[in-house]
Amino acid sequence: MATPVIMPRQGQSVESCIIAKWHKHKGDPVAVGDLLFTYETDKATFDEEAQVAGTLIDVFFEEGDDVACLLNVCVIGEPGEDTAPFRPGSAQEDAAEAPTPAPAAAEAAQEAKTGIAVAAVGADKPISPRARNLAEKKGIDYRFAEGTGPHGRIIERDVLALEEAGLSYTMAAKEDVLAQNGRIPGTGLGGRVTVEDAAARRASGGAYEVADVISAAIDRPETEEVPLPNIRKVIAKAMHTSLSTTAQLTLNSSFDATDILAYRKQLKAHAESLGLPNITLNDMVLYAVSRTLPGHPDLNALLTGDTLTRYHTVMLGCAVDTPRGLMVPTIRNAEQKSLAEIAKEAKALAAACQSGTVNPDVLSGGSFTVTNLGSLGVESFTPVLNAPQVGILGVCSITQRIREVDGDIQTYPAMGLSLTFDHRAVDGAPAARFLKDLVSNLEHFSVLLAQ
Amino acid sequence: MPKSQFMDPVELRKSGWVKFTDIPVNQYKKTLKEEKELYSTDDFLRIYHDMATIREFESMLLDIKTKGAYRGIEYNNPGPAHLSMGQEASAVGQAYILDKDDYIFGSHRSHGEIIAKGLSCIHKMDDATLLDIMEHFLGGKIYRVVEKLPHDTVKELAIDFLLYGALAEIFARTTGFNEGLGGSMHAFFTPFGIYPNNAIVGGSATIAMGAALYKRVNQKPGMVIANIGDASMGCGPVFEALNMGAMDQITQLWEEGYNKGLPILFNFFNNLYGMGGQTVGETMAYNVLARIGAGISPTQLHAERVDGYNPLAVIDAMRRKKAIIEEGTGPVLLDVLTYRMSGHSPSDASTYRTKEELDAWAAQDVLAAYEKKMTGGKVAKADDFAAMRERIAERMVKIVRLAIDDSVSPRMDLKASPNLISDLMFSNQKIPKMEDRPCDVLQPMEENPRVQKIAKKERFAFDKDGKPVSKNKVYQLRDGLFEAIIHKFYEDPTCIAYGEDNRDWGGAYAVYQGLTEALPYHRFFNAPISEAAIVGSGVGYAMSGGRCIIELMYCDFLGRAGDEVFNQLAKWQSMSAGILKMPVVLRVSVGSKYGAQHSQDWTAICAHIPGLKVIFPATPYDAKGLLNSALAGTDPVIVFESQRIYDVGEQFHEGGVPEGYYEIPLGEPDIKRAGSDVTILTVGATLYRALDAAKELEEKYGMSAEVIDARSIVPFNYEPVIESVKKTGKLVLASDACARGSVLQTMAQTVSELAFDYLDAPPVVVGAKNWITPCYELDHDFFPQASWIIDAIHEKIQPLPGHVPSHNFTEVEQLREAKMGV
Repeated sequence: MATPVIMPRQGQSVESCIIAKWHKHKGDPVAVGDLLFTYETDKATFDEEAQVAGTLIDVFFEEGDDVACLLNVCVIGEPGEDTAPFRPGSAQEDAAEAPTPAPAAAEAAQEAKTGIAVAAVGADKPISPRARNLAEKKGIDYRFAEGTGPHGRIIERDVLALEEAGLSYTMAAKEDVLAQNGRIPGTGLGGRVTVEDAAARRASGGAYEVADVISAAIDRPETEEVPLPNIRKVIAKAMHTSLSTTAQLTLNSSFDATDILAYRKQLKAHAESLGLPNITLNDMVLYAVSRTLPGHPDLNALLTGDTLTRYHTVMLGCAVDTPRGLMVPTIRNAEQKSLAEIAKEAKALAAACQSGTVNPDVLSGGSFTVTNLGSLGVESFTPVLNAPQVGILGVCSITQRIREVDGDIQTYPAMGLSLTFDHRAVDGAPAARFLKDLVSNLEHFSVLLAQ
Repeated sequence: MPKSQFMDPVELRKSGWVKFTDIPVNQYKKTLKEEKELYSTDDFLRIYHDMATIREFESMLLDIKTKGAYRGIEYNNPGPAHLSMGQEASAVGQAYILDKDDYIFGSHRSHGEIIAKGLSCIHKMDDATLLDIMEHFLGGKIYRVVEKLPHDTVKELAIDFLLYGALAEIFARTTGFNEGLGGSMHAFFTPFGIYPNNAIVGGSATIAMGAALYKRVNQKPGMVIANIGDASMGCGPVFEALNMGAMDQITQLWEEGYNKGLPILFNFFNNLYGMGGQTVGETMAYNVLARIGAGISPTQLHAERVDGYNPLAVIDAMRRKKAIIEEGTGPVLLDVLTYRMSGHSPSDASTYRTKEELDAWAAQDVLAAYEKKMTGGKVAKADDFAAMRERIAERMVKIVRLAIDDSVSPRMDLKASPNLISDLMFSNQKIPKMEDRPCDVLQPMEENPRVQKIAKKERFAFDKDGKPVSKNKVYQLRDGLFEAIIHKFYEDPTCIAYGEDNRDWGGAYAVYQGLTEALPYHRFFNAPISEAAIVGSGVGYAMSGGRCIIELMYCDFLGRAGDEVFNQLAKWQSMSAGILKMPVVLRVSVGSKYGAQHSQDWTAICAHIPGLKVIFPATPYDAKGLLNSALAGTDPVIVFESQRIYDVGEQFHEGGVPEGYYEIPLGEPDIKRAGSDVTILTVGATLYRALDAAKELEEKYGMSAEVIDARSIVPFNYEPVIESVKKTGKLVLASDACARGSVLQTMAQTVSELAFDYLDAPPVVVGAKNWITPCYELDHDFFPQASWIIDAIHEKIQPLPGHVPSHNFTEVEQLREAKMGV
């Protein structure tokens, strides 16, 4: 019996997922538990395993397709069974921005080679308002069009011809063509290259066929077009929203890391025997933040519209660098957790993020974020707020600084802190007071632990 | 061409003499003693009062124009003021015997006539009637202004009302008789029988004749007077009106009860000058204007010259002329000799007459002479006259103060209400019958031979198998027009139709075939070859309350009726502030085989003139539906018809032309062929060539053309055209009118503005050449052909692969032609 496989819904906010990879292909035998396909949301990657055995008798979507959740993706059954009843009614509508399948594009390119010959490429070509509008709407550079209207005017059909030829997608080719074109001497008004110039060039053996150039460009790509993965789009949007809708600024400070370095040294020496996890400097900063924030409720908050939502608990976001991009899992109720618990949880969350298996619901709900570029040698930076959170702390690298103590010049390890906050919610002085308290807690970390 | 009248060569070739009777010149010779039998002292004094009121009114206007103030009241009146000082006795003498059922139509110099006729009506009307008129006219707007003035009697109040309404109109106030839209030269007040004055010299002659036609056809009481000047005798339309008003058929052919001469007095206020042109001795040939009457008809129009400087002589003449009209032997021509003491206008320097001449007439001033006669005859004392003048001046001061007070006499505020005038351009009403009474017809409609013939016709152009029905069996466009027209004749008793060769012949193109059998003469008759009188009388007929269908045979003849179509037909609804309606359908036919003066499509000329609706149906279904709408409405509609397609069957409307009544609203273009690649918008018969072009485009070039028939030109809904152009991006416009200034140019420009971003090429106009129309054999080189439309697309819109143009649509040629003016 034919059984459809749906695109699962991962988390309430997920509406569609992209098929990242097919592990089985149409016609392949499938056993229960076999990996069928991998799919990703904007935040994580998941694997779908076969629930029934049989043959993969139909596949409705290809790799890269964005598939609405709960839609049938493929069918497992016996060869010869009818799969039509399971085919999603309108795959086109459901799958947003489904790119044109590759074979079709290849055909179009072939057509371009035989059908489209362009003589001149220039910005001053006459074009009808309708053709210009169409070109803008379709993202087609009408300078490639051969104007077939009166006096070489580019008219609607010329832009449509470009679109059919697939020329609208070849940005690289465009530049190449433009470069090639520069070598054709222009005899028109103001040295413009005219239709006649190009025709003359063709006649003199220096045949200039845009399709040739394009195919050459396709053979030797100098750049590649990479459609943004969903997660990148989400990050892009979040970052842009943050910078365009908040009034953020950054305070830089540093603290004497002697105490935490010493403490870490001790831990490292005894961690294994005490059954403690590997506690990093970042974990200690997370711990200090979780203990400092409750005294500064305006920074442990979200600002939405005219409302500041203060948290009674610390929902500590920790930025994690993953191959897919930045992810920020949340350590919930961090102020109630011990240093060891925090270290353990941070590690687990980071691992889940890096492997792409993190539960999407963990990736939201933060009230304050800590991000760390110190391990990459960054001495100070301006973290971008994870809006609508009011604050984000950037943890920087440790540098040796000097200071005068009783007339002597000493060196000491100084660790940089960059606090970005939303000036709409908090003024500079209270933010600085939070930073000062944090610095004090970190410099006297052993005292903090005792509290 | 009635067969009942035998043109006997024996009689007609006999020798003999045309004999004239003597025309009286100033033959009034009654003594005051004799007149006292007819007039009471009050009557004598009222005559003076009315003349003095006019004199004071015009003196006031002259003071304001030349000194910027009247009796210390400062005011600037930039508008015109054509005064008639010296002519008061003529005006008052005429009006003395008239009442509200007698209509007067005037000229640019008619303040005196309005006041005289108004005062005469007020004197004759009872208080209740006067109050009713005042309270209801323009919603009581004028009444509310003047009722606040102190007054002892309703008649006194009515005089204030009359003077104020006229003056507010002259000063362009919304409380004027026509809300300030008529002004000095056009003021009128129909409840007193004062009909439009006309700023076109002689313009009232044809219109008044049409009003007389209305009174005769619809058996209404009263007579009609065309008050025109001596110089208007130089205008063709005035002669046309004299002739048509007196045409033989009315007494010789029209039915019993209708066969009396038209009740019209052509009254020439002969002040000896047309502006500065002296009519006796310089610009005219008649020497004595009354002579003309003898040239019009055997009755000589009962022509007579009367001394217009003596009100009693004028009244005497009016009494006699009115009796003639009531007898039924009108029309009448009166030559009322008078003199204009004032200039043509305040800027007149009197370079054309001497001080001597002016002094000589001043010495005989009508008011002074009358006063002298009355005091001499012991009718009243000089003090009585002085006191009367003082009272009139006091009244005038009150009226002027009111009329220039912006708070009570405001002007139209077109900034606050920008549509005030545009809303008056058309009445846009639907009144299927102008009066509710039985229609005078000769037979039940179903017995009509044409109706019976049409019943046997196929109402769709193709049979069940899609084969064309033969011309003889198919219901044609002319049948569509006929059905709409005969329907109206059996519905609206006031509806009449006339024009050249309408009766018996059935109209030059057989649209009216069958109407002769159905209708009596007075509803359907042949007009003289007098296009101005045909249209002008139609205007007068409609503004009096009737509906008419007038026909000019060829569109080319519109020029002969230029003033009547463009200045009269188009303008009176709005110039009257909506008081008058103009339910006139004017049919013109665009020829095709008769050369340069019989083949022109002048839709553009008509469309250019505000106030006219213009339609050009090209299918039987559209012809019937559009004409039904035009005939049910209250606006003037010029119906263009093409002689090329009177015989086409209905090819578009599914099921053919409905037998019953239906209307197609004016202004809606119709998609005759759906398509997606190019839009072809046509006006008139060019539709069929556009369809041929569409077929060829499809078959040869794979281009799908959408063909839209404009059907109407004014009004016109662009939305369906814009929608089509949004789809196709390309527009060709075609009609048989010469391309320069054609309505297509306006349409092309409008679409360019409204759909610019959707256009793939500029809209291209394919019109006829800017030449004379050559002989029929060269038609193909002059009028747009299907191939021209394809050539235009190829050359200017989208080159068609392999197409070889036959017609030169290049830009070089376009420039060359424009430089040459062709």
